[in-house]
Parts: sequence; structure tokens; C-alpha cells
Amino acid sequence: MKRTPFGGLILLVSMGLAMLGPIVTVILWAFAVKWRYPHLLPTEWGLKYWFAMFGRETVITPILTSLALTSIATTTAALICWPAAYAFARLKFPGRQLLLFSFIAAQAVPKFALFVSIAVIFLKLGLVGNFWGVVVVQMLSAVLFMIWIPTAAFRGIPPALEEAAFDLGASRLRVFVLITLPQAMPALAASYVLAFVSILFEVDSALLIGAPTITTMPLLLMSLSAQIIVQEAAVLCVLIWVPCAVLLLLSRRFMTARGIAQGFGA
Amino acid sequence: MPDLGTTSGGVAPRHIQRTGLGLQALAGLALVALPVGLLGTLILWPTVRMVTATFLIDGNLSSDRYFAFFNDTYTMANLRYTLEMGLVSALAALALSFGIALYLRFSAGRIATLIHGLSLFPLFVPSIIISYALVRFLGPNGLFQLLLEQVGFTHYRTPYLTPVGPFLAFVWENIPLPVLVLSAGLSQVSDHAVEAARDLGAKAPRILFEILLPQMRRSLLIAFALIFMGIIGAFTVPYMLGPPAPEMMSVFMQRTLGNLHDPEAAQVQAVVLMVISSIVGGFYIATMVKSSEVVR
Repeated sequence: MKRTPFGGLILLVSMGLAMLGPIVTVILWAFAVKWRYPHLLPTEWGLKYWFAMFGRETVITPILTSLALTSIATTTAALICWPAAYAFARLKFPGRQLLLFSFIAAQAVPKFALFVSIAVIFLKLGLVGNFWGVVVVQMLSAVLFMIWIPTAAFRGIPPALEEAAFDLGASRLRVFVLITLPQAMPALAASYVLAFVSILFEVDSALLIGAPTITTMPLLLMSLSAQIIVQEAAVLCVLIWVPCAVLLLLSRRFMTARGIAQGFGA
Repeated sequence: MPDLGTTSGGVAPRHIQRTGLGLQALAGLALVALPVGLLGTLILWPTVRMVTATFLIDGNLSSDRYFAFFNDTYTMANLRYTLEMGLVSALAALALSFGIALYLRFSAGRIATLIHGLSLFPLFVPSIIISYALVRFLGPNGLFQLLLEQVGFTHYRTPYLTPVGPFLAFVWENIPLPVLVLSAGLSQVSDHAVEAARDLGAKAPRILFEILLPQMRRSLLIAFALIFMGIIGAFTVPYMLGPPAPEMMSVFMQRTLGNLHDPEAAQVQAVVLMVISSIVGGFYIATMVKSSEVVR
């Protein structure tokens, strides 16, 4: 089991290459003006393609569409899921375990196949390409984060604190606002970030239910990546991914094995 | 709890308590109604409707569409390719992660911290970004090829648009989950057990197969189920990196629905994928519930 530091170093270098190599390539491309084979690095650097991208409506519109769509879907999901998470954690009602369980079971459904079934219904209803149709379907991606992480967080708050406040005569609402909510806030914020990012980058439902009328940012990225000019897709990647990665990093504490299993696994 | 509510007198507090419970139950149900309703209308209903629709031809019960599915060579090649991709990529990701988790378990220091950080990096990279990044990194004249040529290797053949492309992307994406799960599991294996075995003369492979792996069995199975389900349902990675044929099922479905305008066939493909996924998923849920980590 004992490994020499040399072995560790080899593992580190190969992992560094495999994990960071692809992203580094994209970042290099985003700031490259000229990068021709066989040069290892770009021979001319600059922001030429950044300016070119921002001047185009075909680029700005999908980004704005995505931001609007994602904000609406995530916020609506939060408004309906956070209270439910509180109920799952703190209230007793018939069917509680079964209903909570249904949120795990929902994980086992392959998303793309599910979106096919929804797309067929939407085709008949004439909802394909409808902004609000996409919003509703994309909320599904948020529900998983917004139920699990907050439920666990509400459960993690020691009931003793709330009970003490009750004993002192505080109402349920007052206890919730002054005691429960502040303690759950970091987890709620994290669930919002995770849901926001996963919806922002969601391809499947946007493609099956939004396209071709609604072009979201990931669909734009897909179409740009097939273009001859490499830099455009690279610029878009860096522009969108870097802020999201920073946000995700801030909510890293909540990306535990279980959280990922629930959120990213299926 | 005995029901004292029928006796009159001196039960006021209990009455209040009972009303309170009733209110609580109502409030609870009201609060969860919307997200549960969302699952019902957007998951349960479409799925049930789709399964029913695939068995109905002009109002008559028929399994003809499934016969067509299973008798079509190209369709079966796609299904087989999807399952093989899931199996091979998931096993490769698990093997690599297990190696990384083992290294982390038995080493400390700055190198181990960096390796841990690197192994979690894919958590921060969405599928669409890594797919595009891998096209640029591994594709023809990509950075990887340029690096190889720097050290004198000139026979690089790109995995882009071959089955190796999506395979590499799937392995890349699925390193963090098992590393986290297995690290948590391995940290529970006591140093004493390992040292005792070593003192008795056990070699590393024996310690691995007789002490570490048996204790990791459940974690490995759960991780495998999750990764496998994720891969067989994936769209973006095979769409951007994979060969035009065979297609993975999601890409196939998208083309059947979007380009061939054949919703009937697309629905059959979706149902078959759902059935396969639910067998693996049922196993995953059973394991999770048995360990009662999630539903308390």
C-alpha cells in the first residue's frame, strides 16, 4: 500500500493533464487570435473574438433567453419546493415517507426518455417551442436539489432551539422566521445555485421542447461548436462557465457524496 | 396511543392536541402538494401515457411496435452499443476512482490534497462544456496531439467521432462521485485491520481483495448503478463526441423524433430505455432504502 512520492507525482501529473487539459485548451482558444498547427500555443493573443461575439444579436438573444428561463424556473421551483422541504423535515402528515421517496424514485427515470414522452404530449398541445412550456419542464431539474438539500438542512437544525422559543411564547411563524430560516439559509442558497447552474446548462429539454423556436445558451454553444471558427464557442464557454464554476465552488460544502448521488447521478 | 377523546371531561388539552395534529397534517399535505403535483403531471402522467400509447395501434392492444423494435438490426445495434458503453465506462470510472480513493486513503500531504481536488473538478464542469472541451483537447490537431508531438510521438489518432470519445468523456465525468463514496467507505476501514493483515504477511493484493473490497461492496454497487443509469440516458456527450453510427439511445431517440418525425418509434425506444433503467434504478433504490440512509 505504501507508495513512493514519485508514484504520487506521476499520478498527480497525469491527473492534472486529464482533468485540466481540456478546459485549459478552451481557455487558450478563447484568447487566441491565431493558433495554427503545429504550434503548441497560440501565436497571436487578444480579445478580438470577444468583441465580435458581443456585437451579434444571434449570440446575445440566446444568452438573455437562457438567463430569463433559468431565473424563472429556479425561483418558481424554490418557492414551491422549500416550503415542501420544511414540511418533509418538520411536519407529520400521512404519506410523508412515500412522497419523499417518490423524489428519489424520480431520479431513476432517464431524463431524455422522459422528455420524449413530454415532447409528444406538447406536440399535440402545440406547446413545443413555447417559452413557458420549457420553463415548466426545466423546473424538474431543480426539484431534486430543492427538495433534498433543504430537507436535510431543516432536519439538521436541532429542534431544541425551536422548542425553547415556543416555550417562551413565540408563534410558529415567528420561530420559523427568526430561528429556523437563518440556520437553513446557507443550504437553501446552495440548493438555489446548484439548481440554477444545472438548468442553465441543460441541453435535453431545451432541445426536445424548446428548439427550434427557443434557442438557449447551450443550444447556441452546440451550434457554434460545429463552426469553422473555433474561438466563438470557446469564448462562450469561458464567458458562461467561469462565473458558474465560482458559484458552485462557493456551495461546495453541500456537494457531498449523497448530494451528488442525488443531483448528478441520474 | 389510547384514544381518550371519547371520554368527556378533562380532555381539553388532548382535544387541542388532536386538532393540532390534524392541522399539521393538512398543512404538511398542502405544502408538499405543488412539487408532488409537478412530479405527477410531468413524470408519472407522461410516462404512463407513453407506455399505454406504445401498446395501442388504432385503439387495439398490440405489441407490434415492440416486435419491430427488437427485430430491427440497427435499433438493436444501438441498444447494445448503449448498454456496452454504460457497462465499460462505468467499470472503468469505478476502477480508476477506486485507485484514486485507495491512494488518498493511505497517503497524506500536499500531493494527496491536490489529487483529491483534481478528482472532484468534474463536479464543476457541466456535460456540454466538457464535451466541447474534449473535442478541442483530443480532436485532430488538438492540444493533446500537439503535446505528444512535442515529445516525438507522431502517430496520434483522435478518438473524436469514435466510441472511445464518449467513453473518455463518461469516465472523466464520473470520477468524483465514486471517489467521494469510496473515500468515505475506505475511511471506515480501520488501520488496525490493514496492519494486522500486513503483520500476518498478507500482500497488498490480498489486503485489497479480502479486507477492502468486501467492505466496499455496497458503496461500489450503488456507485455503479448511478453511473450506469446516467450514462445509458446521456445525450450531450455521445451527440457531441460519438460516431454517427451506432448511436446511443438518447441520440437515436432525438433523431427519430426530430428528424424522422416518428414519435411512435421514439416512444418505444424511450420505454425500452426506461425499463432497463428502472431495473437498475429499482436495485439502487432498494439498496438505499435498506441502508435507510435517505428515508428516515
